[in-house]
Amino acid sequence: MWISLNIISKMVSLDGISPEDIAQRLTMSSAEIECLEYANRHFTTIITAKILDVKPHPNADKLTLVDLSTGSENHRVVCGAPNHKKGDIVPLAMPGTEFSKDFIIKKSKIRGEESSGMLCSEKELGLSDDHSGILIFPEGTPAGKSLAEIFPDSVDVRLEIDNKSITHRPDLWSHMGFAREIAALYGRPFTDVIDRSLESGFKNAESLKVEIMNPEAAPRYSGLVVKNIKIGDSPDWLKAAVTSIGMRPINNIVDITNYVMAEVGEPMHAFDRKKLTGDRIIVRLARQGEPIMTLDGQTFTLTSEDIVIADNDKPIALAGVMGGGNSEIDDSTTEIVLEAATFNPVNIRKTAQRFNQRTEAAMRFEKSLSPELTAAALIRCYDLIKKCIPGAVAVSKILDAYPVKQKTVKIKTDTEFIKKRIGQKISDERITGILKALDFRIEIKGTDLELEVPHYRATKDISIPEDIVEEVGRIYGFDNIAESAPMVPCTPPRRNEFRLFERKVKGILSMHFNMIETSGYSFVGEDFLNRLGINEDRELRLANPLSMEQDRLRRSLVPNAVKSIMVNMRNSDYFKTYEMGRIYIKDDRKSKELTGENTRVCGLVYSRQPDAPLFYEAKEIVCGLIEMISMDDIVMVPESKELPPYAHPGRSMLIKTGGKDAGIISEFHPKTLKSFDIQGRSAFFDIDLNMLFDAEKTDKKFCELQKYPDVPFELSILADRYVHTADIISHVIKTSPEYIKSAEVISIYEGAQIPEGKKSVSIKTVYRASDRTLSPEEIAGLQKKLIESMNRKGFTLR
Amino acid sequence: MENKLEEIKKQTVDAVRSAKTADELEDLRVRVLGRKGSLTIILRSLGDLPPETRGTIGKKSNEIKKIIEETLESRLNELNETSLDGLVTSEWIDVTLSSPGATGTAKTGRLHPISQIQYEIEDIFTSMGFEILDGPEAETEYYNFEALNIPKHHPARDMQDTFWTEDGNLLRTHTSPIQVRGMEKMKPPLRIVGPGRVFRYESTDASHENTFYQVEGMMIDRDISVSHLIYVMKELLRRIFKRDVKIRLRPGYFPFVEPGFELDMNCLICGGTGCSVCKQSGWVEVLPCGLVHPAVLRYGNIDPSQWSGFAFGLGLNRLIMMKYGINDIRHFLSGDERFLVQF
Repeated sequence: MWISLNIISKMVSLDGISPEDIAQRLTMSSAEIECLEYANRHFTTIITAKILDVKPHPNADKLTLVDLSTGSENHRVVCGAPNHKKGDIVPLAMPGTEFSKDFIIKKSKIRGEESSGMLCSEKELGLSDDHSGILIFPEGTPAGKSLAEIFPDSVDVRLEIDNKSITHRPDLWSHMGFAREIAALYGRPFTDVIDRSLESGFKNAESLKVEIMNPEAAPRYSGLVVKNIKIGDSPDWLKAAVTSIGMRPINNIVDITNYVMAEVGEPMHAFDRKKLTGDRIIVRLARQGEPIMTLDGQTFTLTSEDIVIADNDKPIALAGVMGGGNSEIDDSTTEIVLEAATFNPVNIRKTAQRFNQRTEAAMRFEKSLSPELTAAALIRCYDLIKKCIPGAVAVSKILDAYPVKQKTVKIKTDTEFIKKRIGQKISDERITGILKALDFRIEIKGTDLELEVPHYRATKDISIPEDIVEEVGRIYGFDNIAESAPMVPCTPPRRNEFRLFERKVKGILSMHFNMIETSGYSFVGEDFLNRLGINEDRELRLANPLSMEQDRLRRSLVPNAVKSIMVNMRNSDYFKTYEMGRIYIKDDRKSKELTGENTRVCGLVYSRQPDAPLFYEAKEIVCGLIEMISMDDIVMVPESKELPPYAHPGRSMLIKTGGKDAGIISEFHPKTLKSFDIQGRSAFFDIDLNMLFDAEKTDKKFCELQKYPDVPFELSILADRYVHTADIISHVIKTSPEYIKSAEVISIYEGAQIPEGKKSVSIKTVYRASDRTLSPEEIAGLQKKLIESMNRKGFTLR
Repeated sequence: MENKLEEIKKQTVDAVRSAKTADELEDLRVRVLGRKGSLTIILRSLGDLPPETRGTIGKKSNEIKKIIEETLESRLNELNETSLDGLVTSEWIDVTLSSPGATGTAKTGRLHPISQIQYEIEDIFTSMGFEILDGPEAETEYYNFEALNIPKHHPARDMQDTFWTEDGNLLRTHTSPIQVRGMEKMKPPLRIVGPGRVFRYESTDASHENTFYQVEGMMIDRDISVSHLIYVMKELLRRIFKRDVKIRLRPGYFPFVEPGFELDMNCLICGGTGCSVCKQSGWVEVLPCGLVHPAVLRYGNIDPSQWSGFAFGLGLNRLIMMKYGINDIRHFLSGDERFLVQF
């Protein structure tokens, strides 16, 4: 919203205050000023000058040399316009005049002739679109005047207000509101522009009545009938003012209603009296399905929540949003009904949203306007109409339906409370002074205050003592409050164990296994799920997605892992990334209203040309992680059937804890890689972090260091190619668990000298006893037992 | 015999002095002083000598033995030193390589910049006695709006464009629901922070994201004031930016606080003189905050006549962008390693 300082200055003197200072003070105490703009600041260096002589330019046919006098000085400029002659009074832009950042008038030579300024057309001055020649002032216009003096209304400073910052302040949707703020901030008097004496001149010669059918939808409806209207252009001051606040001048009546809305904050409307049927204006809820055509030509089908203004037989306006096309004023209008009303903010907001019509009026009504504004706005409107159309006459009293009067809001508080909440010693006089400046009526009893809130702030904005704290604080200046540390007991906070666990896992992956943590969107789309082969339509969908690619919530982090490969393989041949984040499972509700959320961690290793299967790298990370978080109850089992479709059936293991699946280690299925155009290979793990967190952890316990020597023993056996070495090892250990410290596969060989379909596995077993050195006989016995057992299992020795 | 001893001495000493390696010295030692060494044999056979010569020869032999031993040792020391010097050439490697034959270094792992700042902030608040809480990302309308004093059809809902889910819930638009859940769970006095991911129904560009991160904070105690809020916020920013930062507090409207503020920080990119990041104002909004609205306390079953508090919400993305001069918010969720390894 734009605020014009010209309009403000009619209500509070701005003498001696810079616009920058006003913007700063308002930002710090009232509302955020987004920008400050000077309108026609350059008019101060454009001066009226009399043409003394016009000569042809010696080097150019279409240019002339013009000698001018501003009364005190003479100037020569080169000019290309065709219409000026000796004796004319014209606007001369002096050197230094800044039309825009890139267009500053300088002394220069044009085709060899000195030119010290520029003569301006109406278009160049922004006065009209006329660019046919230089603006020539009427005869008798004195020379030596600046354009700022000639067009005082065009020179303005305007402030753009951040609308969000005044969501709670219906009064600040007006110049009056800002003028009051400035008056309070600078301690200057506020002048009301409403001339209430006019009301006594309103004739009572009109049979029109106004009536509210649903008081909860419209607390007040006021009207005024004015005759002898002549629709025409607005005077220059009004055009300039309307332009300054960001609106387009239309005609005198529309401009006046717009101006009053901006000035007083009360949205106004004017009906053509002759287009109304009957003598009644009714405010009522619309009938379901009732149509209305608004003055912009659109037709809406209404619901019973919308409010309409109607005459005897038809709706004539969509209340609070826009007037109707059927009652609109036009060039032949001579008699109008001015409307000022207050509507239920919720109805207006719903209507504006439903029809996507967030008009200036709707924006104000939804903020809860004070009903007390309507009569004042009508009087102000009439005042301005009289100024523009002197023959206009009010032929009705203010027609007023005001079934439920606005309640007076009174707040009891005390200065001690205000000081305590602010946390600073402010004198009682300062506090009451601020509140008085803000138009509160105060009764003081010691430190107790009984406050009456001004009507324009009493609709919703101010109702509790905390609101008073804000009023005092913001005018005092929150920036003037000193910091102080709260004095509270130094009890240590409870630990959030799950957060700490997340952090530990991330630390292990990033710091120990050198993985890079990524973070991806919580959304996923159908195409991605299809390509992964997991589109089962089980995701929680968004009711208002931004795009097809992000129309539902992820049930898995794997899509993001694939994205990470696609992004990074362009720049890197090898990388390890992981993401930890929530997934959303709509069929697993933890409470009745909420979708289940689980935290998972999904990591991947990618290599364009891996030397060895990447599965092992992924597995090493998972095993390291499990060891470092001291997990007890965990098993990893090879799996080739019960796998997600993107997992490689020959290179997958499931991670289980408490007998339940907690995750998977796998390589991406070659067909998955192909469907995403991924060159190279990638292995991944995808683990339920909540299950890891809940799983049994081993308590660390000291174990006596081994005192007696190790006895290593190596043997090679032949095994079937598809036998898992883990099974062989567990078989080895089973032969003498109490003496075997470790059994490891140290090499596997397939090829020459090994029968087809077999592999040679070399195993190193280390024997030891905890209480003695094993004797040669014992060792021989253990080794013999192992060999025999292997043979029995069909693993022949090589 | 004496000549023979002299000869052994001379030969051995010469040989020792010209020896080039420790192995050579060891050979010499064995040949002369070993079990079957030439001098050892003489020393062993002393008993066979006539008593008149036995004394002199014996003495002489021991002297020579001592000389040879000393010479061996000093030569060994010499040799050791020269061979250490020799390591410069014999065991030289190109230390500017990163591995044999290659300069490429192994990549080091990273936490996402959001995690880094989040943990830093969690630690700062933990040190001030704040407990860390979580909350669901897919929230109910009640916790995201109503219990925060934003009823249905309140114009303040416009400030936060919302993703709605098919089951009538929403993706939380701020971390503030954690406040309400915290108050329900705990009794005052309380100090909590809740970091997390939030969502806005918004098309993305360099300065807008539909997914970003916030840290919510709340302190409730007897007589908490604006002055306390300023202290905690300043302390937080001082610790994050590791210097005294200039802030300003101005009114800001959020229905769940009263009074409510926007806390601006002096723009670190331009130092307050005005640049594109701060829209030429010299200030950047970093922290909406305020004293908890009594209605919100009541929603959290806390009696506002007994307790008061402050609350704030800190946008992490903006903070990191400020700290490192990042110009595009979309980098955070891009998954691009080239971005992530910079922090």
